[in-house]
Amino acid sequence: MAAIAEAGGSIALEGARKARRNLTKARIRWVIAALVLIFGAVAGRLVQLGLVEQDNTIEGQTRDLITASRPAILDRNGLELAVDIRVPSLFAEPRRIIDVEEAAQAIHSVLPEINIDWLRQRLTGDKGFVWIKRELTPAIQEKIMQLGIPGLDFVTESKRFYPGGTESSHILGAVNIDNQGIAGMEKDMDDEGVALLQSIGLARGNELEPVNLSIDLRVQHVMHEVLTDALTRYKAIAAAGVMMDIKTGEVLGLVSLPDFDPNNPVTALEKDRFNRVTSGIYELGSTFKTVTMAAALDSGKVRLTDSFDARFGVRFGRFTIDDFHGKHRILTVPEIYKYSSNIGTIHVMQTLGKDDFRAFLTKVGFDKPVPFELPERRQPTVPPKFSEIVAATASFGHGLSISPLHMARAIAGFVNNGNMPKPTLYKRSVEDAAKDYIKVISPETSERIRYLMRLNALEGSGTRMNKFAAGYRAGGKTGTAEKVVKGRYDSSKTLAVFASAFPLDNPRYAMVVLVDEPHNENEQSGHTAGWNAGEATGRIVQRVAPMLGISPDFNQVLDQELVPPEIR
Amino acid sequence: MIRTLNVILVITSICALVGVYALKYSVGETASEKVAIQRHIERQEADLSLLKADWAFLNQPANVGPIVTRHVAELNLQTLAQEQFGRFDSLPMRMKAPDGAALDSLFEALDSGVDPIQQLIVESE
Repeated sequence: MAAIAEAGGSIALEGARKARRNLTKARIRWVIAALVLIFGAVAGRLVQLGLVEQDNTIEGQTRDLITASRPAILDRNGLELAVDIRVPSLFAEPRRIIDVEEAAQAIHSVLPEINIDWLRQRLTGDKGFVWIKRELTPAIQEKIMQLGIPGLDFVTESKRFYPGGTESSHILGAVNIDNQGIAGMEKDMDDEGVALLQSIGLARGNELEPVNLSIDLRVQHVMHEVLTDALTRYKAIAAAGVMMDIKTGEVLGLVSLPDFDPNNPVTALEKDRFNRVTSGIYELGSTFKTVTMAAALDSGKVRLTDSFDARFGVRFGRFTIDDFHGKHRILTVPEIYKYSSNIGTIHVMQTLGKDDFRAFLTKVGFDKPVPFELPERRQPTVPPKFSEIVAATASFGHGLSISPLHMARAIAGFVNNGNMPKPTLYKRSVEDAAKDYIKVISPETSERIRYLMRLNALEGSGTRMNKFAAGYRAGGKTGTAEKVVKGRYDSSKTLAVFASAFPLDNPRYAMVVLVDEPHNENEQSGHTAGWNAGEATGRIVQRVAPMLGISPDFNQVLDQELVPPEIR
Repeated sequence: MIRTLNVILVITSICALVGVYALKYSVGETASEKVAIQRHIERQEADLSLLKADWAFLNQPANVGPIVTRHVAELNLQTLAQEQFGRFDSLPMRMKAPDGAALDSLFEALDSGVDPIQQLIVESE
């Protein structure tokens, strides 16, 4: 206290207590400052973390989309047509790669097919993600893991696998490397919502409900085998076939050759690999007479007991239309069908009237593409109005082009009591299908058409078919259409078609088979449709019918019962 | 009093510290175990998908068909002909009672050393 006392005058006494209080205050201030700083730092870091943008995309696509799986596709009995397999894909993070040259060399040693300069360029830079090679095998994955290069890793991707190979190619279509459908049912399924599920990440890892198609793999296999055989047997350039359940419209088999391997979708782009059943349109020739007969008989203006003069060709100005297998006499309606008389069919059509005939074609859906799941479809070319001569040629299937699926659907309608079903590739019950029925002819006319088709198999151009399919009560109409080459019909290039249904006493399946530019099998055989498309149909029916639960029956009463009362 | 309280508090906090760290590490361990199991499951799922695909491939008519064609000659395989199908109603009805007399004569013939069935076979040849 001496110092204070010495200063004299006003004395400020700093009491011990006060000094201590000041010190405490100062300490509190420091603590507050420190706390503010610490919490400020924490808050700042939080804001910073919040601002960091997580890059979940892989080269512009979401990770979900890349690892997305697709539902398995099964046939109607549960056999797999398409499945997903999980495969590793190699990617690199260039910003984490230390020695680009070493990494490039090492990868090249395991995957020699990759260009090393491309690799070097790919691995250099500051990117966070680049693909090196997608869809590898587990063995290669193991090898790359053993290289121990930092900055390389794997993503498990789903890859589509088609165990049947080429067999169902035109039905299934294909997917691209990102597992998106690019053709066939795969594309249709994407349009139906699988793509949406994938994009929102729901189709990831966990299994999607498998999809049942209407295809019967056994039928598909038989059709594929028989038609492949037909290609070599008749030295044809193409062959196609479709079989449909007439009650439900379910397509049981659909083959178009040449086809492609969906496991290697590039092959689909080769020439002539299109789906002939849905996206090919053809002049289907005499098979069209079934349509003409159905139209005429249903109108009531023509009856089975009527006869028409087929002695002379029909003249239209400079043109005369004559018969191929000419009988040149007066023919009854069943005979016109049986002998495939063009002249007779024209007279039948003329009795019906060309406008009514044209209206009937609209009714059976020949104006629009068939409503069907496959995206590969084509607009048929049917003239909007028929002149006399166009109507005449149309009555035996020339001058208008439709797809084989159109014809199969029409035949299905004709034999299914006149109820034309909507074709589908999904499994469907008869009740559901009945809602989409289009009434095209009366049940009575349907009976008469069934009789005509069976008659043609017993006595007409379908006998070659019936030789193979004996006992299965199959019947149908042949069509041998000359192809148009440089604007003219060329008799050396034909398209052979067989439009059939079986078993006709209780019809269940309709089938259209076509063979493009067939040749004689041997010296004794002919080149018309009965010899190739007909025989192929017979072979298919012979093998497929027992699988579908149709037992052979040689009882002649069945055929006799098909004969309508008026000509019995 | 306060001293003992402090000691207790210090001990509890040390225990808590050890406990929390132990928990942290065990959680970390469980998490890595979980990741490992997940990886394992993923791998097995991948393997399973491959096996399923293999099975589907081996089961395909497209795969079985060629095998059958390869063995046609050795096994004498033929396409089923329509005539080879039968029906239950084309089978003859079972006899109400066994034909006793016929059986007796058969056994008598066998006893006397004549085999009528063998004879039929010989005759048909």
